[in-house]
Amino acid sequence: MDPDGLEEALDLSRDRSQYQGVYIYQPAKPGKSANEPPKKRRKVSSTGAQDPKSDSQHFIPLLNGEESAEGVQQRLNTYKQLWSEQEQKIQGILEDVDAGVLTDVLSFVRETSPQTCNGCIPTALVTVGSNVSSLSRLLSRLNDHLTSSGEGGVVVLESGDATNLKNSLKNVIRAAVTNTEGNDGYQKFLTDRTGPRVLGYDLDLLNDYVQRKGTKKLVIALRDSEAFDPALLTDLLSLFQSWLDRIPFTILLGISTSVELFETRLPRSCVSLLQGKHFEVQDAGNCVDRIYEALQTNPNGKLWIGRNITSTLFERASDYFQTPEAFSRMVKYACMSHFFANPLSALLGDSKRPELFQGRFIEAIRNLPSFRMYCEDLVEAGSPMEVRNLLENDRHLLGEVFNHLEIGQQRMRDIFQAVTLIHACLQHTQGTKKSTVSDLSVRALAGELGESQVVDDMLATVRAMDSEKLEGVLATLPAALSNDSTLAELKADFGTLLETCPDQEPLRSEYNINSSVTKTTVVQQRIQLSKGKANLSGQDLEYTKIIDRLVAALQEYFTEILIRPQELFMHEAFLFDLRNPLKDNFAPRPRFAIERAMGSPFDYLISSSDADQGQAKISSKQPAAAILYQLYLESGALVNVHDLWQAFLAVFESEEGKKCDERIVMALFYGALSDLKMFGMVKNASRKKADHLAKSAWLGL
Amino acid sequence: MKRKLSDSGLENEHPAVSTPKRPRVQPKGVLKNGHAPNHPPAADDATYELPSAPNGQSTPKKANGHETCSRPRRKPKSATAAATPSRLKNADRSAKKKSARVLFEQNEDREWDGSEQLAAEILQDDDPQVDKAGDTVMETVEEGEATKPAGNDPKPAKRRAGRPKGAANKRSPTPEGELPAHERYFFQNRAGTAKTSNKNLNKVSLLTHEEYFEKLGQYVDPCKDEKEYLLSLHHRSFPQWFFEFEEGFNICLFGYGSKRRLVQQFADWIYSRSMSASANPPAIIIVNGYAPGITIRSIFATIASAILGDELPSKLGSQPTEVLELLQSALKSRPEHHPITVLINSVDAPSLRRAANQALLGRLAATPRIRLLLTADTPNFPVMWDISLRDQFNLVFHDSTTFFPFAVESDIVEEVHELLGRKGRRVGGKEGVGFVLKSLPENARNLYRLLLTEVITVMDDGHQSDDEAAEGGAGDKTGENNGIEFRLLYQKATEEFIASSEMMFRTLLKEFHDHQMITSRMDPSGMEILGVPLSRDEMEGVLEDLVLG
Repeated sequence: MDPDGLEEALDLSRDRSQYQGVYIYQPAKPGKSANEPPKKRRKVSSTGAQDPKSDSQHFIPLLNGEESAEGVQQRLNTYKQLWSEQEQKIQGILEDVDAGVLTDVLSFVRETSPQTCNGCIPTALVTVGSNVSSLSRLLSRLNDHLTSSGEGGVVVLESGDATNLKNSLKNVIRAAVTNTEGNDGYQKFLTDRTGPRVLGYDLDLLNDYVQRKGTKKLVIALRDSEAFDPALLTDLLSLFQSWLDRIPFTILLGISTSVELFETRLPRSCVSLLQGKHFEVQDAGNCVDRIYEALQTNPNGKLWIGRNITSTLFERASDYFQTPEAFSRMVKYACMSHFFANPLSALLGDSKRPELFQGRFIEAIRNLPSFRMYCEDLVEAGSPMEVRNLLENDRHLLGEVFNHLEIGQQRMRDIFQAVTLIHACLQHTQGTKKSTVSDLSVRALAGELGESQVVDDMLATVRAMDSEKLEGVLATLPAALSNDSTLAELKADFGTLLETCPDQEPLRSEYNINSSVTKTTVVQQRIQLSKGKANLSGQDLEYTKIIDRLVAALQEYFTEILIRPQELFMHEAFLFDLRNPLKDNFAPRPRFAIERAMGSPFDYLISSSDADQGQAKISSKQPAAAILYQLYLESGALVNVHDLWQAFLAVFESEEGKKCDERIVMALFYGALSDLKMFGMVKNASRKKADHLAKSAWLGL
Repeated sequence: MKRKLSDSGLENEHPAVSTPKRPRVQPKGVLKNGHAPNHPPAADDATYELPSAPNGQSTPKKANGHETCSRPRRKPKSATAAATPSRLKNADRSAKKKSARVLFEQNEDREWDGSEQLAAEILQDDDPQVDKAGDTVMETVEEGEATKPAGNDPKPAKRRAGRPKGAANKRSPTPEGELPAHERYFFQNRAGTAKTSNKNLNKVSLLTHEEYFEKLGQYVDPCKDEKEYLLSLHHRSFPQWFFEFEEGFNICLFGYGSKRRLVQQFADWIYSRSMSASANPPAIIIVNGYAPGITIRSIFATIASAILGDELPSKLGSQPTEVLELLQSALKSRPEHHPITVLINSVDAPSLRRAANQALLGRLAATPRIRLLLTADTPNFPVMWDISLRDQFNLVFHDSTTFFPFAVESDIVEEVHELLGRKGRRVGGKEGVGFVLKSLPENARNLYRLLLTEVITVMDDGHQSDDEAAEGGAGDKTGENNGIEFRLLYQKATEEFIASSEMMFRTLLKEFHDHQMITSRMDPSGMEILGVPLSRDEMEGVLEDLVLG
């Protein structure tokens, strides 16, 4: 027996610390750090900032490793700059969304006191609904406000920390003290007391702290109040109530179902201790939409996320109650992937020096699908010389690339301006179903918006608008459209028209429903409805003409603007639309992965040596667990272990003949069976029949 | 067996043949219903298929179609049912009953059985010619039966021609076509007794720990290179993972195979990377979630010691929350301290799996400058985390299938023996029992001798009494399944002056219980049966030693 082989087989040779529960990593090869002082001591002194150069090291050079270091650096820098801008925007939106509730809660906390509540504990009930993360944001901000003004602080008590009364009180007191004094302060606070020693859960401690600090408001927040044991909650609340004359408690309860349901869980005596107000946090979906809109319709945008990603993002947001933070993290990840893996993303950087983009980079551009498309278009348009030039002259190509990058980005901005315009106009429709910006964006990014029903609806809405609404719309028209000469003319005409009729009544076009009259005629005992135009004033007719012109201009504008972004030359650089890293990394299918690994192991174990591995047959060349799993799949709900073992053995015997050692195969069988057990696929069924296993997992379910 | 093989081979071919019957019969039924709904057509075997036809229609099992195997055999009987027209009504009723029975039996026949499928395939592999012949024979038989109704409806022939060749032979755990998940569940999880053989593992000597490791050491993995290559592919993601860390994500690795080596190498990579960049050793903490003694507090304590170094307070709190808050505030007060990388192997191992532990880990993950890499081995690990916990973890998932054995993560021999219900045997074994007995007083040894004698006698008796069950009874060669009733043993013990009171008797038994030398179970009538968790050979060995010693 070869001890090395055994060690290797069991993977023991590397480290001896495998049975240790937790340890601080020490490098495997002592030679590397032999001259270093021991780690622990070193770490305390190692406060120096990291070498700035090391920053780019986690970006690996792409293009087969031939990308220039500067290019790598540029990608990283561009990413950091771009994302920090986006992040700020997201933070702004989140703050804005929370602002309403925050001011409400803050003023509630400041204004109420036990005196105003008839001796009850002032209580804020916050229902969060699906927006689970909003409460933590709210609490941390509330805490910031209260601590910075010296009024007090917020203590968050999690249901997990509240196993019993002593523990919860201890946690509350410790959290309250450490919130302002820090951990050391808490220790000092405990030891530096005069008089008899007080236990950690004595509210006297908190009283003492409140007196010392002059705290006016101490907010106890139960983030997941439904998860608390009702009996414990009752005890806690009654205890708080009895200390209310000394400690200024305010309770904040986070509720994810409804206030009524929560109330029914508590005894009356407990409910009567509380008096307060109900607050509601805005739904998450709305927030997500706003974030998306802000990111995509940014007038200085450089990078856009494509249609596949957009639909993936919104699928997840709606299916899994995703929080806005999780949503923005996914967007961030998409952005990260683009800059991490796409060398073209360097083009988005500030530096446009041609030295950055050479050799392989130029070659890569020439291999882009969009480059080919562009060349084909050029040839069709009758300028083969230009194509030749692009193919041969690097400098010329680079110039064109930057040119088109600029154009393409402008087109993208235009597309999203059109989207916002359509969205704004659709807000005026009466219909209940209103498309969100995200819906519209998905269509626009697929290049389908121009021909879709939505645009017709939108034009119909514009036709039916009266002059007041139209005025608003005209004011918000995107720059690309309003700078147009026909539009300018139209605007001027509209202005003069409005001036000529200063009366209160807004002008209506002939398309407006109020301008048409329904006539009812009885013909042969049947009622006929016919619509006719009401008599329109001259000004209304004038107005109708303006509307017609506007609609025509809009139509023209949409056909020009709403193109397929995938047709733009160099769209690979500024449009990121690969669904895959995002979907796999955020919505993994671990069970499928394991089933696949065991069902067809050669999907993973790619080998060049064996030609016959492509076939799906069970063979002894496969890993043992895979063989056993496939045999397992063939069996019914009950599996006879003996037969399973025989079948397993037969796989090896049929291929290796005499030289196969049964005991070795049995060792493999053991390993495979223990894997199946670990995955929860089999369990002991010997109670039903001797030496039988029950199947407990089913393929693909 | 041979017959069965060929039978099932035919069965396998059968379904496509049976399908044409359905359309053939149905229009007929409709036609007759117009006139005399209660009268079965005389001597028409198709009636019997009438109820059976709609049965399989909606279920996916039809595709597999084992149900029809017994049908031709029943047909002659059915012809007699309508022999006398005067008893038409009676016949009708009995026909209904019969067809109900057919329906019922068919349901049992339809039990999808891997062995038959397998046999069919073996047959095919062996000799496709024979199989083809079988197929044609079957078709001609069917043709003969079908001729009568074929006059009415020429469709079936057409249908048959159109059937996809070999479609029914496809061995697949799922039926044809895309089924919705719930249908697939019911298909795979049908009720009824599955046919399994009565063989058991008693003749197979199981592996001991020593033998397992010895044999595993001799095994040469044919996929070694491929596995190494797979690992090297994962290596290429290290910079990406590190970038994800830098951007505030935590990582979760999943997929089949032990990921311990990968994690270790990632730690090496981070170490050498930051050594070359700044000459500062990074703080990396490795947690082995599979280690039985691991506690969440010890993880937090180690992290805290990595942050604080010598400043670590001598007394950490006993609650994990306290330690967590300590380390969080320590990190907060040291804004220049570089990030702590925590690599957790097998986060879904039993000791860490508990909801409370996961909630605490989530809070650790949400701490700024803590970078968490988790590996998960089981297929359903995401159910550990609800949305708010998922949000705290902020995970990016990577499929890191490695195919390395879970050699350290699980005690394989122990697990398998537990799975097979043979756990106790290994613990004591013959030697173990003998060792314990040596240290016990004379009385206890005598009692154990008595118990062994009785159990062996019971085992011998069992064999003599039912000869025909010898095959099935062979499964109970352990002292665990055969046993002696508690009262009986007590009686014998008092007779031999081993125990004078029941109290004393129980005290002696308790000693055996403590050393897992005895098993106790209730039989169906509520009597306590005592057994010995040893095989017969072992029992005889122990008895010999007892008597001789």
